[in-house]
Amino acid sequence: MTPTANPRVQGVPGLTPPPPEPPPASPNYLENGTSLWSWLSTVDHKRIGILYLLTISAVFVLGGVAAGLVRLNLVTYNSGILSEDAYNRAFTAHGVLMLFFFLIPAVPAVLGNFLIPMMIGAKDLAFPKLNLASWYVFLVGLVFGAWAILNGGIDTGWTLYPPYSTRGSQSSVVPGVVGVFVSGFSSIMTGLNILVTVHKMRAPGMTWGRLPLFVWSLYATSLIQLLGTPVVAITLILLGVERVTGEGIFDPAIGGDPVLFQHLFWFYSHPAVYIMILPGFGVVSEVITCFSRKNIFGYHAVAWSSMGIAVVGFLLWAHHMFVAGISYYSALLFSFLSMLVAVPSAIKVFNWTATLYRGSITFQAPMLFVIGFIILFTVGGVTGLFLATLGTDIHLHDTYFVVAHFHFVMVGGMVLGYMAGLHFWWPKMTGRMYSDWWSRVSAAIIIVGFFLTFVPQFYIGYHGIPRRYPNYPPEFQIYHVLSTAGASILGLGYLIPALYLPLSLFYGEKAGANPWSATGLEWASPSPPPVFNFDEERMPVVVCGPYEYALGIDQLGRGLPEPPGPGGAEGPAGRAGVTGPAGPMQKETEVVG
Amino acid sequence: MNDLPPAVPVAASTHAVDFEYAFWYITAAVTVGSLAVFGALLYFCVAHRRGAEGTGSTPRILGSVRLELAWTLIPTVIFFSFFAVGAVVYSRAMRPPEDAMEVFVFGKQWMWKAQYPNGQRVIIGGNPRNMLPQEREKIGKLVLPVSTKDSRRPVRITLTSEDVIHDFGIPAFRSKMDALPGRYTTAWYEPTKVGEYHIFCDQYCGTWHSLMVGKVAVVPQDEFDRWLAGLSTAQGTEHPVDGSDAQEGRNLFLKLQCIKCHSANAEARAPVLEGLYGSRVPLKGGGAEIADEDYIRQSILKPRAKVVEGWEPVMPSYEGQLAEDDLEKVVRYIKSLRRGTTPDRTDRMPAPVGAPAERSPQAPPSSPEKK
Repeated sequence: MTPTANPRVQGVPGLTPPPPEPPPASPNYLENGTSLWSWLSTVDHKRIGILYLLTISAVFVLGGVAAGLVRLNLVTYNSGILSEDAYNRAFTAHGVLMLFFFLIPAVPAVLGNFLIPMMIGAKDLAFPKLNLASWYVFLVGLVFGAWAILNGGIDTGWTLYPPYSTRGSQSSVVPGVVGVFVSGFSSIMTGLNILVTVHKMRAPGMTWGRLPLFVWSLYATSLIQLLGTPVVAITLILLGVERVTGEGIFDPAIGGDPVLFQHLFWFYSHPAVYIMILPGFGVVSEVITCFSRKNIFGYHAVAWSSMGIAVVGFLLWAHHMFVAGISYYSALLFSFLSMLVAVPSAIKVFNWTATLYRGSITFQAPMLFVIGFIILFTVGGVTGLFLATLGTDIHLHDTYFVVAHFHFVMVGGMVLGYMAGLHFWWPKMTGRMYSDWWSRVSAAIIIVGFFLTFVPQFYIGYHGIPRRYPNYPPEFQIYHVLSTAGASILGLGYLIPALYLPLSLFYGEKAGANPWSATGLEWASPSPPPVFNFDEERMPVVVCGPYEYALGIDQLGRGLPEPPGPGGAEGPAGRAGVTGPAGPMQKETEVVG
Repeated sequence: MNDLPPAVPVAASTHAVDFEYAFWYITAAVTVGSLAVFGALLYFCVAHRRGAEGTGSTPRILGSVRLELAWTLIPTVIFFSFFAVGAVVYSRAMRPPEDAMEVFVFGKQWMWKAQYPNGQRVIIGGNPRNMLPQEREKIGKLVLPVSTKDSRRPVRITLTSEDVIHDFGIPAFRSKMDALPGRYTTAWYEPTKVGEYHIFCDQYCGTWHSLMVGKVAVVPQDEFDRWLAGLSTAQGTEHPVDGSDAQEGRNLFLKLQCIKCHSANAEARAPVLEGLYGSRVPLKGGGAEIADEDYIRQSILKPRAKVVEGWEPVMPSYEGQLAEDDLEKVVRYIKSLRRGTTPDRTDRMPAPVGAPAERSPQAPPSSPEKK
């Protein structure tokens, strides 16, 4: 996999030769202290990214076990395996863990932490100590969450609607709420750090118009984290105060208003779904350009649609409340605004698809995950339109249709985006390549298993079967059995990377600095990168935009090495000198459409 | 496995038909759009894959303002058409007609109570903690009249909750509305198909959320009228509906000690009254009479005038003891008495369905009897 310069290119006028392989970093960030303390006290953004990776992987396993319990119980139509209480606690644990402790930190805190400074040519994030603090705060939140679960669990659903959560529930609501509240600060810290870093620490030449789209999408994400999270923090405090002191805030029996909670909760939690999905968009833009060897189609459209989603995303929270007793006119308004947010998402899908046009496409695991992302996210997106439409939402609301819709977006979209990102940057993070064959197999299994799991749920949702029902009419059992069968395939799909990724650390081929022949600054640095990312004497100076695959140059203006895949240096195209350090610099920009 | 549900769920109200139009319009539009994207994706992936023979050189295409405009504006217009269609359907679903019959429904963990304009009440569902599984089989139904082309019978449901947030959803009507504590929300239906359909609680409300379910029974208008009079068991339980005149008559029947003689046991000193209404009664001293309302009324006020063959005239007159409206209730009760429903002398009123039982709590109905 080590890229080799194509000797035939030398001397061909107009072709930029690829740079020599940089010498391995000594020490690289992994070798810079190996004691446990060196990890726990690190302020290196890359190490903190790895700490987050380990933490959220553990959370993903726990949340996955909870999902497995839920799906297993649904094989019976009368809650034949778990008691109703246990089922309620299982789906709540699944929701709380996956949303607050996995999806929200997944890409921003793992890949964002690791990559943002490298992509913009900085030595670290703007506030390295704040970055480490965010991980500890996250851990404290997680400890409270674990306490809530070990202490019998929470049975309110992740939405925590009062008055049930403040009066009716006999479960560990308070520790759970404290856990989510505390982990929110970690999210704010990461968001703030990324915002400041992108504003202040870009390398010379890295203008806003040359930022990789991953940076744009995380910039938009950070904006939401910074502005939205305080609102949910206030809401959770009010909830805790009512539960502990009996002061009437949300419970009408003591003078409160339960719909107020829903407004406050969704004011954060709806934008929060964009915290979860926007970073996935960024990964897709990076991967799809690299594996099709194309410039992104419509850079500005993709970048600004992220910002559009971040802004409009704050204006449509009440579409979760169409049947919650809000006024007729506010329902009309929020339905209308919800349609607006579908537009930038559609723009992105169209642009990604157009990027593939006349590309030179290969299908390694990151690309397979991204193709899965586009398909599943499109299904998830268009089914959201049924829920944004008032007339159809009043039937589909709170049914399995909703469950299937947001799993298509969150799992089909975001988790696949995360997997794509993890596979794309794994060689950079670890310096090792994983098994190409097994990674492709795993991507295929995950996509197939996902469809089998959630397509039946659209159907029973259309029939009006409510979510959070361990007992359901027996005639729908077959569809739940199908869904559980799909979930077991999906689970198997996740198990395979859990084996080959760790194994690659010991047995994987050593990765070069730029194994995918990608253009970003992060690939200019050796794999794994040195502590401060770039050598002192060779700080990056950016000369062009992020996706000049057609010209065959990276952001430093150097030629790209031979990309992996068929038709490489030894293929006919390679011999003709047209792959890899490909087209001549003076290649004309083509106009389509 | 069990019988599969129909491919398209029953649409049993005017609103359900509206919903189906909106649903299939959106489905058609997004299917075409998604398939176009998937088709392009698949085509590009196949046609532009890097083959061993293919070229690795790619054109430098940066985008197209015209295309961007097209795929911004066209989806926007389509999405707004969804909004418009949805708003029309929603407006109809949210605005009950003036003449709708009002049924008041309130939820509490984990049952529904419906109250009709005449004060009659039905309990739907019940607290599984206090119920035997077989009792759950006999939980009440929300009885509604069917609308026909000639006679529309819209029903307006006013919802509230006694404890936490619930949601009163009837998939066959494609309708759903939260029941909030401390305020009223409304939904309305115009049921168009006779039948029984699911009622679900759609807002998570605690342990037995998934058992806060019941049925709505849509019946023809004449049966609905009979049911309102306490003469039909459309609500699914054998006792007169809680709150109906017949049920109040039953209370009077017990209070006035009628049951002492008109009982179903061996010491009865008077005929049992089950199935009396409308039957032919042989009279002492020859002759017979059809037991209509007037006969029953006469027999209460002047019991010795027409004594049933085989019995002694021992009954005292209730003339002057019963107010006219109470008398009417007792008559209604006697009309509603069905075989096997004469209460025992010592019977108190049966507890409302789902009320705490005086027996040791049974296992919730989830565990026993699997298919």
